[in-house]
Amino acid sequence: MSFSTPEARVAGPAGSALVSATGVTRVYGEGEAEVRALDGVTVGFPAGRFTAIMGPSGSGKSTLMHILAGLDRPTSGSVVLDGIELSALDDARLTDLRRDKVGFVFQSFNLLPVLDARENILLPLSIAGRKPDQAWVGRLIETVGLGDRLSHRPSELSAGQQQRVAIVRALAAQPSVVFADEPTGNLDSKSSAEVLELLRRSVDEFGQTVIMVTHDAQAASYADRLLLLADGLVVHDGEAHSAGDVLDLLKAAG
Amino acid sequence: MLKVALRGLFARKLRLGLTALAVALGVTLIAGSYVFTDTINASFDKIFAATNKGTDVALTARRPIKIDQGTRQTLPASLLSQVSAQPGVAAAAGSVTDQATVFDAHGHRFGAGGFPGLVSSVSAVRRFQGSSIKTGRFPQAPGEAALDAGTAEREKVKLGDTIVVQGGAKRAKLRVVGTTQVAGVSSLGGAAFVDAVLPEAQRVLGKTGRFDEIQVAGDPGTTPAELADRLRGAFGREAVVRTGEQQARSQSSEIKASLGFLTTALLAFGGISLFVGAFIIFNTFSITVTQRMREFALLRTLGAKRGQIMRSVLTEGLVLGVVGSAVGLGLGILTAAGLRALFKVVGVDLPSNHTVIASRTIIVALAVGTLVTLASSLSPALRATRVAPVEALREGAVPTIRGMSRKLTALAGFLLVAGVALMCVGLFAGGSSSASLSFVGAGAAATFLGVALISPRLVRPIASAVGLPFERFGGITGRLARENSVRQPGRTAATAAALMIGVALVTFASIFAAGARETVAKAVDQNLSAALVVQSENGFSPFTPDVLRDISRVDGVRAVSPVRFSQAKAHGISGRVTVSGVDAAGFAQLYKVKMTRGGQAALDRLKGRPFAVVSKKFADDHHLRPGATLQLTTPTGAGRSVVIVGELDDKGGLLADLSFDTTYLERAFGEKQDAFGLVGLRPGAGVAQVEGRIKALLHRDYPATKVQTAQQFKDAQAGQVNQLLGLIYALLALAIVVSLVGIVNTLVLSISERTRELGLMRAIGTSRKQVKRMIRVEAVITALIGGVLGLVLGMVLAILFTQPLQDFTLAIPWGTLAVLLVLAGLAGVAAAALPARRAAKLDVLAALAYE
Repeated sequence: MSFSTPEARVAGPAGSALVSATGVTRVYGEGEAEVRALDGVTVGFPAGRFTAIMGPSGSGKSTLMHILAGLDRPTSGSVVLDGIELSALDDARLTDLRRDKVGFVFQSFNLLPVLDARENILLPLSIAGRKPDQAWVGRLIETVGLGDRLSHRPSELSAGQQQRVAIVRALAAQPSVVFADEPTGNLDSKSSAEVLELLRRSVDEFGQTVIMVTHDAQAASYADRLLLLADGLVVHDGEAHSAGDVLDLLKAAG
Repeated sequence: MLKVALRGLFARKLRLGLTALAVALGVTLIAGSYVFTDTINASFDKIFAATNKGTDVALTARRPIKIDQGTRQTLPASLLSQVSAQPGVAAAAGSVTDQATVFDAHGHRFGAGGFPGLVSSVSAVRRFQGSSIKTGRFPQAPGEAALDAGTAEREKVKLGDTIVVQGGAKRAKLRVVGTTQVAGVSSLGGAAFVDAVLPEAQRVLGKTGRFDEIQVAGDPGTTPAELADRLRGAFGREAVVRTGEQQARSQSSEIKASLGFLTTALLAFGGISLFVGAFIIFNTFSITVTQRMREFALLRTLGAKRGQIMRSVLTEGLVLGVVGSAVGLGLGILTAAGLRALFKVVGVDLPSNHTVIASRTIIVALAVGTLVTLASSLSPALRATRVAPVEALREGAVPTIRGMSRKLTALAGFLLVAGVALMCVGLFAGGSSSASLSFVGAGAAATFLGVALISPRLVRPIASAVGLPFERFGGITGRLARENSVRQPGRTAATAAALMIGVALVTFASIFAAGARETVAKAVDQNLSAALVVQSENGFSPFTPDVLRDISRVDGVRAVSPVRFSQAKAHGISGRVTVSGVDAAGFAQLYKVKMTRGGQAALDRLKGRPFAVVSKKFADDHHLRPGATLQLTTPTGAGRSVVIVGELDDKGGLLADLSFDTTYLERAFGEKQDAFGLVGLRPGAGVAQVEGRIKALLHRDYPATKVQTAQQFKDAQAGQVNQLLGLIYALLALAIVVSLVGIVNTLVLSISERTRELGLMRAIGTSRKQVKRMIRVEAVITALIGGVLGLVLGMVLAILFTQPLQDFTLAIPWGTLAVLLVLAGLAGVAAAALPARRAAKLDVLAALAYE
C-alpha cells in the first residue's frame, strides 16, 4: 500500500483531501416522522490533520462520522475515502475498507473482554490475517506506556487504560484515517487528557489523520481544526486552539 | 405482575419458540408411544372380538405354566364328540391356528422381516368363522387356501395361484381360491394369513388329531355363561372353558402383554428426550433470568415482593410448559404413524386400524410436559428472587449472584455417588427385574445430573483441547470462539450436558452391541464344532424334527444333533426356568461344553431319564450340586422330579438353565419341535457341496428353514444385533435433536448478549463470513464438549453394565465412536446455522448502540 508509512502520507499532494464528503444528505424515517440528520454537507479532511467535529445533540455530527467511516450510507451525495468512492461498495467491500483503511475509537472502549490488551490491539490485524509490524506496534505500546499491562484483560484495566488500548488498536493497522466517537465521554479529566494527548501525538509524530466527534470543548481544543454542525449543516469550519474559543463558537452556533 | 411475565415471554418469540420446541419434542415421543400402542391394542381387541363373535363358549388346552418359548399345548380331537354330546350344545367344531411361513410358488417369502404368517382352519360351522371372504370363496378341499386380501394385494397373488406354506411339518402347496378379511380389515399388519380346511391346516401345522380350540354354540335359551359353567363342570380338568367374550379378551390381553415391553421401551426413550429437554429449559431460564436481573431488581425497587418475582418466572414456565406440551401432543399423534413405519423397517409390522387417542394420553402428555418445565424453571426462578433491589441502580456489568458453587459441587458429588450406587444395586443385587430396572434408571439419571453439575469445571479443559485445532487453523475467530464458549462455563456445560446424555446413550448402545456381536462370534468360534447350523428362516420359530431326519440322510452328513427349548416352573425358584433338550449321545461332538461337575459322562447319563445337567450360573445362583433334586412343573402340567447329574459351563450361551435328553424333553415337556440343528460332516466331505445339497433339500421340502455355515450364522446374529441397534439409534435421535435445539437456543441468547461486541468486530472489519465462522466454531466446541463427556460417560456405563454379564466380551467400537464424535461436531455446525445467520445480519450501527 502506498500509504503504509506515515511519512508517505504527509508527503502527499498538499490540499488534496484524504476523506471528503460532497453534498451528503441523510434522511431517517418517512413522511411525518422524517428527520434530516444531514442536509447537504460538503467537507474535506486533508491527511495528517486532527479534526474535531462538534455540535449540539441532534446536529448530525455522529451521523456524519458514521457515513465518512462507511458504517452508514448517505441518502444522497458521495463520500470518497483515500481515493475510493464508498457508495460504489457493497457490504463485503465496505467491511474490507473498514478493516484496511479505517481505525475506530469508541466512547465505550468496546474491547473484547475475552482477549487481553495485546490481543485486543492486534485484533484488526488478526481479522485481516496480516502479520503485525512488530516495530510499529512496539513503538505504539511504548508511546502509550502500557508495557506492563499487556497481558491483562480489559476488566483488569482502568477506564483510561482501556481507552488507550483502544486507540493503539485503532493505530496498529496503520489505517488511512482514525475515527474517534466521543473518546473521552466515559473518562475522568486526567484520563481524558492522556487519551487526547495520545491522539494528538499520533498526528504529530506519526502523521495520522484523526477525525473526532465530541461535545467536550476541552477535547476539541486538542484538534488542529474545528468543524461545527447544527441542524445537519456545517456552520463553522476553522482553527480552534483554546477551549474558550470553542465555547464562544458553540454559543454563536446556538 | 402476570402482565410482566407474559410480556417477557412474548417479547422474544424465537426464544419462546425454541424452548417450547424442546418441551414439545420431549412430550412428542411420550404421546406418540401411547397413541401407537393404544392403536395397536385397540386393533387387536377389534380383531379378536370379530373372530370370536360367533362363539358362545371356547375350550382351549390347559396351560399349567405360562411359557413364551416352545410348543403350545393342544386338545385331543376326541374331545370334540364329547363336547358335542353335552346338553345345551347346538354346534361345536374344532380348529387349529398357528404360526407358519408363507411363500409364493417361486420361493419368495411373504411379509417383511421375521414376522411369521398364520395358518388357520376354516370352520365347518359358518358362525365360528372369524374371517370373511372378500373375493372368491372359502377353501372346501385339501390343497385349497384362502389368503388375506392385504397380502394377496401386496404380493400380487391372484385366485388360482399356488402358495407354499410351512408350519410345524413339511411344506404344503396350496391353490388360492379366495381372499379374506377380518373385522373389515384386509391386512393385519403385514403378516400373511392363510385359511385351509381343517385336515389340511392340521397337517400343515403338524397337529393332526389335535385342536387348538373347540368352539361351541349354545342352544337358544342357554346363555354363554351358563353353557360355559356346564362345560367347565364336564371338561374343566382337560380344558380351559371361556365364553366367547372372555376368549377374545384373553387372546387380546395375551398379545398386549407380549407387546407391553414395547410401550415401556418407547416411554423410556420419550423420558430420555424429556430429560434432555429439561436441561434446555433450565438453561434457557437461567440465561434469561441473568439477562433480566436488572429488570427484576427494578421491579423489587418498585415494591415487588420476592414471591411475585418468583411467580412471574414460574408463570412463564407454566405457559411455556402448557404450550410446548400441547404442541408435543399434536406431534406425538403424528409420530405414532412414524413409529409404526420405523418398526416396519426393522420387520415388525403391527396392525393399526383407527388412531386411538385415549384421555390418558392427553392428560399424561400435558401433565408431564408442564411439570417438567415448571420443575426446570424452579431453580432459575429462585435465583431471580435473590437479586438485591440496589442492583437496578448500579451501572456496568450484569448483576451476578454468587456463593452456590461449593454447595453445587457437593450436590454433584452426592448425585454421582448415589447414582453409581443405585445402578450397582440394580445390576448386582438381584431382585425382580422391574425393581432392578427402576434402580438402574434412577441411578443413570442421577449420574447424568451429577456429571452435568460438575461439568462446568470440565468445560475449560475440554474446550482448550477440542478448540486447539480451531485456534491453530482458524486464527483469531477460532480463538474468540473458544474463549466465548468458556465465558459462561455453567451455560456451556448445561448446553453440552443435554447433548452428552444422547451421546452417552448412543455410545452405550454401540458398545453393548459391539460386545454382543463379539460375544456371539467368540462363542461360535470356540464352541461350535459342527460345520453347519440349521435354523428356521426367522431365527426363532421351531421346526419339525423331520428336517433333521431328512438332513441326516444327505450324502456327506455324518451326524445331526437337535437342540430344543422349553420352560418349566421349579419349586422354590421364582420365575421360569429355561430348559433345553439335547441329543445326549451326539451333542458333545458338535458343540463343545466344559463340564465343570459330573464329567463328560454326565451327558451320557441323561439318556431318556429324568436327569439334568445344570448351567454353572444357574447352579451357583440356586446352590444346586449334582445329586440335588428339583421339583418341576412342565408345560404339559406334569409334576416331575429331576435329578441334577452334572454342571456345565457353556461359554457359547446356547444351552438353557437345565438341559435334558431330547427324548425326555419330548415326553415330559411335550416339546416335539427343534429350535436348532447342528450338522457334522463326514471326514473328507466338502462343506460347500454338503451345504448345497442340504439347501436344495430345504428349498424343496422345508423352505422356512435354512442352513448356515458357522460364519453365516455369526453374520446373521450380528445382523440382528445391528437391526436392534438401528432402532435404538432412531429412537435416541429425538433426544439428540432436542439437545441441538438447546445449542441453537443458547447461541441465540448468547449472541443477543454480545450484540455490542459483534457490532465492534463488524465495525473494525470482520466480515460476515468470519462472524459466521466464529459462531459455528463456538457451536462445534460446545457440541464436542458434549460429545467427549458423552463418550466417556457412555463407556464407563457400558463397562459397568456389562460386568454382571457372564461371558460377555467387552469390545469398544473405536471406529463407531470416532464417527460419533465427528457427527457431534457436524451437529454443532447444523445447530449454528440459524444463530450464525442472525449474528452476521446484525446491523453494525444498531449493534454498537445496543444497550
